[in-house]
Amino acid sequence: MLTGLAIRALSLTLALSASSTARLATDLDGHTLARLAPPEAHAIVLFFAASDCPISNRYVPEIQRLAREFKSDAVHVWFVYPNPGDSAKVVRAHNAEYSIDTPTALDTSQALAQMAHATVTPEAAIFIPEGNNLHEVYRGRIDDRYIAFGRERPQATHHDLEDAIRAALAHRSIPQPGGPPVGCSIVTLHP
Amino acid sequence: MKRRWSWLAIPAILYVTCTITKLQVHAAPQTENPITWSSRIAPIVYANCTTCHHPGGGGPFSLLTYEDAKRWGAQMVSVTQSHYMPPWLPEHGFGDFADERRLSSVDIAELAQWVKQGMPEGNAAAAPAAPKYSETWQHGKPDLILSIAQPFHLAASGTDVFRNFVLPYPLKETRYIRAMEIRPGAPQIVHHANLLIDRSASFRRAHPDQWQQGVPGMELEVDAGNDFDPDSHFLFWKPDTAVLVEPEGMPWRLDPGNDLILNMHLKPSGKAETISAEIGLYFTDQPPSKQPMLLQLEHDSALDIPAGRSNFVVDDELKLPIDVEVLGIYPHAHYLGKVLEAWAALPDAQKKWLIRIPDWDIDRQSVYRYRKPLLLPKGSIIHMHYIYDNSADNMHNPHNPPVRVKAGNRSEDEMAHLWLQVLPVNTAKDGPDARLLLEDAWMQNKLSKDPHDVIALYNLASSLAGQHKYTDAIAAFQQLLAVHPEDERALNGLGASFDNSGDWQQAQKTFTESVTAHPESCDSRFNLASLDLKHDQPADAEQQFRAMLEHCPDDAGAHSGLGSAQLAQGQSDAAQAEFQRALTIDPHDFVALYDLGDLALQANQLTQGIALLEAAVKQKPGDVDVHEHLAGAYAQSERLGDAAAQLYEAIHLLPDNAALHSLLSQALEGTGDLEAAIAEQKTALRLSSDDADGWNNLGVLEARAGKNTAARSDFLHALQLAPDHPQARANLGHLPPG
Repeated sequence: MLTGLAIRALSLTLALSASSTARLATDLDGHTLARLAPPEAHAIVLFFAASDCPISNRYVPEIQRLAREFKSDAVHVWFVYPNPGDSAKVVRAHNAEYSIDTPTALDTSQALAQMAHATVTPEAAIFIPEGNNLHEVYRGRIDDRYIAFGRERPQATHHDLEDAIRAALAHRSIPQPGGPPVGCSIVTLHP
Repeated sequence: MKRRWSWLAIPAILYVTCTITKLQVHAAPQTENPITWSSRIAPIVYANCTTCHHPGGGGPFSLLTYEDAKRWGAQMVSVTQSHYMPPWLPEHGFGDFADERRLSSVDIAELAQWVKQGMPEGNAAAAPAAPKYSETWQHGKPDLILSIAQPFHLAASGTDVFRNFVLPYPLKETRYIRAMEIRPGAPQIVHHANLLIDRSASFRRAHPDQWQQGVPGMELEVDAGNDFDPDSHFLFWKPDTAVLVEPEGMPWRLDPGNDLILNMHLKPSGKAETISAEIGLYFTDQPPSKQPMLLQLEHDSALDIPAGRSNFVVDDELKLPIDVEVLGIYPHAHYLGKVLEAWAALPDAQKKWLIRIPDWDIDRQSVYRYRKPLLLPKGSIIHMHYIYDNSADNMHNPHNPPVRVKAGNRSEDEMAHLWLQVLPVNTAKDGPDARLLLEDAWMQNKLSKDPHDVIALYNLASSLAGQHKYTDAIAAFQQLLAVHPEDERALNGLGASFDNSGDWQQAQKTFTESVTAHPESCDSRFNLASLDLKHDQPADAEQQFRAMLEHCPDDAGAHSGLGSAQLAQGQSDAAQAEFQRALTIDPHDFVALYDLGDLALQANQLTQGIALLEAAVKQKPGDVDVHEHLAGAYAQSERLGDAAAQLYEAIHLLPDNAALHSLLSQALEGTGDLEAAIAEQKTALRLSSDDADGWNNLGVLEARAGKNTAARSDFLHALQLAPDHPQARANLGHLPPG
């Protein structure tokens, strides 16, 4: 069953007005991300991260692995930093420290977090492009290593995100996460 | 020569399941003032969190400032309500521990309320000052810093890593350590670390190619060397351990040739990390006045946990042969441990809890120290009661699906260990080392579970020998040899026990048997040669020492032994050359220092002789003879005060030796302290009252002190014992008429 939870339209190709630019995610050079993937992409995976969150950081190698593994399947993986403290300078240094070579977005306005309904880091979302819109088909934990703070398996036994990506690519129904994401709350923006 | 094995299981990390209990959060008391960072939250955070959560600390982020706390407010509520933080496993009320880390329900409620109210800062000027943490050594500059041989590179991801790094102790003299600090290099990835002392560098020798980069493994085994020298201290570090300071009178010891082994539990962080751990040691000149001991309960042989079993129970119990004070406790299991309990059943049937961990988590394992030493009287039975969960519901289970699990050193194996640091109390002053009695009880307990446990048999036999129970020791060594007929240590231990029991021929036979079975081994030949030497067979001894040197040319003891054998045969020049060779190899070789010192004295080289004997005394301050010889050398140099000091040392070791008191009396007389001299001579005569010379000497001292009546009585006493004693008779004549 494809649970199109939180299906939300995001304009990928529409030219944006100058006034709304500030509300969109940027790359590390400050350029607005007008699109997250070309129209022929099979899936877009957003990995919500925080440079100062230990559990988020522990998942960096796993996300990098998934990005490499599914690159040839036209799956576009993004590291997304939604917290106000994660400026371009901070994230650039962090990415260098963790050897992150996956495309990275600064979600300054938390538009992507809101679009995905993400609340913690680490948390992942999968979107399937449909025309100019994106359907969110998965949101939640990466795997089952962390059950809660202090409840941690020696290693993951269920790779929820990877299974969901494979299902999406195979046009099967998307399995949903078997438990809540565990990590650091995304810092709420104050108006 | 005794050898002893022991093994300290280094606790490795267990992942433990930490059930998040729904806490009943008590409503914070209504206050007129809102809860702000400055008024209520900073004091809680500074008292409970910032030991780890400061820049450079073991916590993953800092909580030193209001901005920091605001960033992590939501997490703080979540982890304090679940009791994940501050980290503390033992159940309150089951053992009273120092440094208990628990937030009160009021604190937890106030944190939650503060976050709910939007985390107001309040009056910043009224906030308490943030604690300061040193960026380097928390305890000041150490007296000695040791570093791992080469940096260790930890991969960015994967399961936890358990690694053992060897740090050789580089000094040439024994030091006592009153405090220790570990700077792990990357504190946030070090879950905990355990430091072990390897007295014989056995682990390094067992891993010649690996020790510098670290040897994988959760637990390790070290060879405790020849003497009874049990592990005595928990040298355990975790991120909130600023510095480990030992109680007054209980420093630990490092000798030349020792290694420290740093056993670390490392957690990948997401990026490649480099660990360059350092250990800072703080010395004291004061040797220990109290000798604690680590005692273990365990039952690894009972660990055979079927797949899927959720309540597998393992027990052990140990009856205390003496009164002890329990200072600390260290429960240990791996990932399947669920409930870990220990208590003592006192002789009056009272149950005294030692610890209860309701939800074990290897990741958060720790040594726990009691706020006050816990007295357990002789006859108390210590119980270990562990429950294991090998079901799929135990999320720490390393196997999915579960598999049958037995004891072992890998993280996916299991362990059932309980270590206690105990201090023998109310012990008999003149009895054997009370720790030997604990060792006996411990090893007997091990043997009750496995009668063929070689290490336990060996340690028991050695312990009995250490208590001079040679008949029992011989039986125990023979029991071991029945299982392992050619075990070299057992043969050597048996030989030594025969010799000490007075049967030196049997000892010789046993050592010979050992030499035949292990012709290239140095220990057996050394023992045989030493025995020959001791029993006036210097030619045989010489032959054995020479054979030994073929295999072990750089053994200082063989050279000095050969020297002694030559000396006994009148070859003093050859002997001198061997002693000098021994000192080239080991400047601390006691026999060489002692005998060369005596040779120098005989050649009237007083200064040199004294220097050598002074060095010998430093090596063996417990040897009475060397104190006596040095005293003689000082007396020859007319350093009577120094001579007296050496004799006092000797008497301290052997208080009931009349001859020593008599010698001291003479030295004191030379220093002009007549009263003290008289007192010592009286002590000598109390110990040996039929010594006519002694009574005469006392009379002389009394006469010099003007006590003519007493002197007269002393001379008469001498004459009563020896009617022809010429000095006593003459001295009596010299006394003025009474």
